[in-house]
Amino acid sequence: MDCTNKIHVVYDDGLLGLNGQDYQYLFSYEKGGLESMRFNGKEWLYRPLYPTYWRATTDNDRGNGFNFKSAQWLGADLAPKCINIDLTVDDRHFDQLPIAPLTNQFSNHEFAKQVKIEFTYETATNPAAQVKVAYAIDASGKCRIAAHYLGQAGLPELPVFGVRLIMPTLATEFEYDGLSGETYPDRMAGGVKGTWHVDGVPVTPYLTPQEMGMHMQSSRLKIVRNQTQNNADHDERPFALTVKQTDQPFNFSLLPYTASELENATHIEELPLKRRTVLVVAGAVRGVGGIDSWGADVEEQYHLPADRDYQFSFEIEPATIE
Amino acid sequence: MQADLKWLDDPQTFRVNQLPAHSDHQWYLDYAEADQQSSSFTQSLDGQWRFAFAKDPQNRIKEFYAPDYDVSKWDLIKVPSMIELNGYAQNQYTNIWYPWAGKIYRRPAYALSPDDLQAGSFSQGTDNTNGSYVKHFDLNESLRGKKVRVRFEGVERAMYVWLNGHFIGYAEDSFTPSEFDLTPYLKDTDNILAVRVYKHSTASYLEDQDMFRFSGIFRSVKLLGQPKLHLEDLDLKPRVTDDFKTGIFNVDLKLQGQDGQVLIKVFDAQGNLIVDESKAAAERVGVHDIKVKDAHLWDNHHPYLYQLFVELRDQGGQLLEVVPYRFGFRRVEINADHVVLLNGQRLIINGVNRHEWNCRTGRCVTMADMEQDMATFKENNINAVRTCHYSDQIPWYYMCDQDGIYMMAENNLETHATWQKMGQDEPSFNVPGSIPQWREVVVDRARTNYETFKNHTAILFWSLGNESYAGDNLVAMQEFYKDHDDSRLVHYEGVVHTPAYRDRISDFESWMYLPPKKVEEYLQNNPDKPFIECEYMHDMGNSDGGMGSYIELIDKYPQYVGGFIWDFIDQALLVHDEISGQDVMRYGGDFDDRHSDNEFSGDGLMFADRTPKPAMQEVRYYYGLHK
Repeated sequence: MDCTNKIHVVYDDGLLGLNGQDYQYLFSYEKGGLESMRFNGKEWLYRPLYPTYWRATTDNDRGNGFNFKSAQWLGADLAPKCINIDLTVDDRHFDQLPIAPLTNQFSNHEFAKQVKIEFTYETATNPAAQVKVAYAIDASGKCRIAAHYLGQAGLPELPVFGVRLIMPTLATEFEYDGLSGETYPDRMAGGVKGTWHVDGVPVTPYLTPQEMGMHMQSSRLKIVRNQTQNNADHDERPFALTVKQTDQPFNFSLLPYTASELENATHIEELPLKRRTVLVVAGAVRGVGGIDSWGADVEEQYHLPADRDYQFSFEIEPATIE
Repeated sequence: MQADLKWLDDPQTFRVNQLPAHSDHQWYLDYAEADQQSSSFTQSLDGQWRFAFAKDPQNRIKEFYAPDYDVSKWDLIKVPSMIELNGYAQNQYTNIWYPWAGKIYRRPAYALSPDDLQAGSFSQGTDNTNGSYVKHFDLNESLRGKKVRVRFEGVERAMYVWLNGHFIGYAEDSFTPSEFDLTPYLKDTDNILAVRVYKHSTASYLEDQDMFRFSGIFRSVKLLGQPKLHLEDLDLKPRVTDDFKTGIFNVDLKLQGQDGQVLIKVFDAQGNLIVDESKAAAERVGVHDIKVKDAHLWDNHHPYLYQLFVELRDQGGQLLEVVPYRFGFRRVEINADHVVLLNGQRLIINGVNRHEWNCRTGRCVTMADMEQDMATFKENNINAVRTCHYSDQIPWYYMCDQDGIYMMAENNLETHATWQKMGQDEPSFNVPGSIPQWREVVVDRARTNYETFKNHTAILFWSLGNESYAGDNLVAMQEFYKDHDDSRLVHYEGVVHTPAYRDRISDFESWMYLPPKKVEEYLQNNPDKPFIECEYMHDMGNSDGGMGSYIELIDKYPQYVGGFIWDFIDQALLVHDEISGQDVMRYGGDFDDRHSDNEFSGDGLMFADRTPKPAMQEVRYYYGLHK
């Protein structure tokens, strides 16, 4: 049967569904992004995947006024706005997005070998910048995600540029190929290359919660969970997802909190109970600096000017548990 | 003599009846005791003391030191500990501003004019909390009939002492030992030692370190008895010949007591006896210029120590006292090219600043804390420590000798708020400056630091203090060190603010937190002093980015010595949080303390519970490049 090695495409009125034997992707036109990513019946997204621009202010950021200078990016991070969706199924490019009533032409027997969908976002900055997040899903269920920030003059420097995936439940462990410990572009010489295993989703206990947990130059990340929010799912066996490098290594942090949750807390105990897993895959990370904490900037080469393009990509696929 | 509360207001009164500072050696009855490091001449007074708190001097418990004063209903407090952490007084963390900023208007005595005494500034200070401590004790059998002193190893910040109702003395300088002779009033049993500790005096101006502001008897208290012939001061001056092959042994002793015999023996690490001298006891005894061929030199990689024993015997040859001390031969100097050398090789400092800190007990740290810190140094290629900005507990210096950790031994001095205001230099009421009335007190701090720790091989540099601007009084401190010690270098950073004093203060060019490019500018322009970063890489929160730019300078410029990261451990306090039910870390401002500099107290490479921050692996890497 042809359909077993093809994607079952459901052209619904507000959603595009991509279904395979052990995967399911739902792209929401209303929410402007990937709403669901399900492998072997296990949901991996709590909220849609969106670009991220903000890192929780570090003590150095506060000291040198970077949080003030770049405050626009906090708003942009909190308020994504999708302005365009572009769909290509196999060789067919949709000049007009197939929403109702165009959807009436389809059936429950639509299949494809590859689907590409690209969301364009406008940032809540003045001037606005544009960001594209493009997905390419093949029949195996593997998904390649590419993000592209289009440089815009007149904007403050970026704290970070990446995408954020919020998972419904807390991961139990993760493992990655990359550098030991917490690394940043200007603090990674001491990172030792290897495969690193981390139990749970730890928070680095900085006195004031702030940007933390970045892992630079990673080639593979496996995230393991054993719980879902599905009331009918009584299976407690662990399940996992893998993030893989495409052309370049990626940077990531895996934390129980978003940047704005960290930003709001003055102490660790003020953070909410750990209940979700927040994966940020970042293409560009600003350095942390450290010459002093009352004015000295991060060294020039570790800044992220906003008038420059930033692009990165990675792959996601279900992982097996040994 | 009677105690006078006005001493709190007078910068010229800082030690009353205190014994002169002397070397930190221990003395024992015999070799067996020395071996066990357990001296029958020592009696610890640590433990539970009676305690009463008063919110200001007017409410102090008067006459509490009288023998018939009943303290049986008083609270008990643990000595050593901080009064604040026992819940009597408010915790406060402030960096630069004095803790009374915005609450009480104060200026240092004599700072604005020579006749401005600022009378009552502290003796009537409504913020001057104080604690009255009482300890009942019987003298150990082994101390009876002997001359006995009491040693307070650390008391913040001004202290009056009475024994059995008699006034004994007064001391300031919170971080060095204060000793008083108790002999005239001491009984075999049922002694009452009474101590009143004030949080503030003129010493508060000199102790404006960036830290939680505490008070109390926070280090050990000991009784020290001495035999009929006693070594009061040991002054080792080991030298190394120009070819770095031969050690030259020198020692000067100050003795107290009767006639007798002095034996001076030095063994190498293999147990070979290499010095064996005998002298008749006298007030001063010296042994000089004894050559030690093929001497093993001391450094970070090979902290080779020789073992000295000084034996004091009576005229019949009976052993009265034995003093062990370990020392190394090493030579530190600046060559004609302004490069710092240790034993003829370029010296590179991979250092940290280290406050004494424990998240449960504040500045009251234990041997276990020190041992753990030393292990962390070793694991992470840290080869040097600056005792910021005061003298540390005595055992730490011995540990640095033994483990080859280079020390910048800093005086207890910082007067930041008297000359820098909102980031601008504004020294209109700077102390010590050049004010005559503030001269002796700071020279005394230099003297005490020097006399106490002078025998520690690990100390390569003395440091005059931190962030105290510069004036004639800093020059006087520098001169004290130069007059007494030509075997070490002197460091002071604050002179960068006063170029006029540059030729008279500091062997180093030192400018904290100067960015790498600026350091390079100095190094490229005919540097006439070696450059050291006494503080760099401010490790507050998620930090330590860009360290490589400093480390690169080491390879490019021989005059760059390296530096001391700010700092080793976060200052935060572990507190039970009723809301979360957890024990959590709290920092400045979390105790309703205002003014506070909040999380600025957390700048460590270590979290306050002594687990390393993620940045530590970066330090281990970069400090490993020039081990």
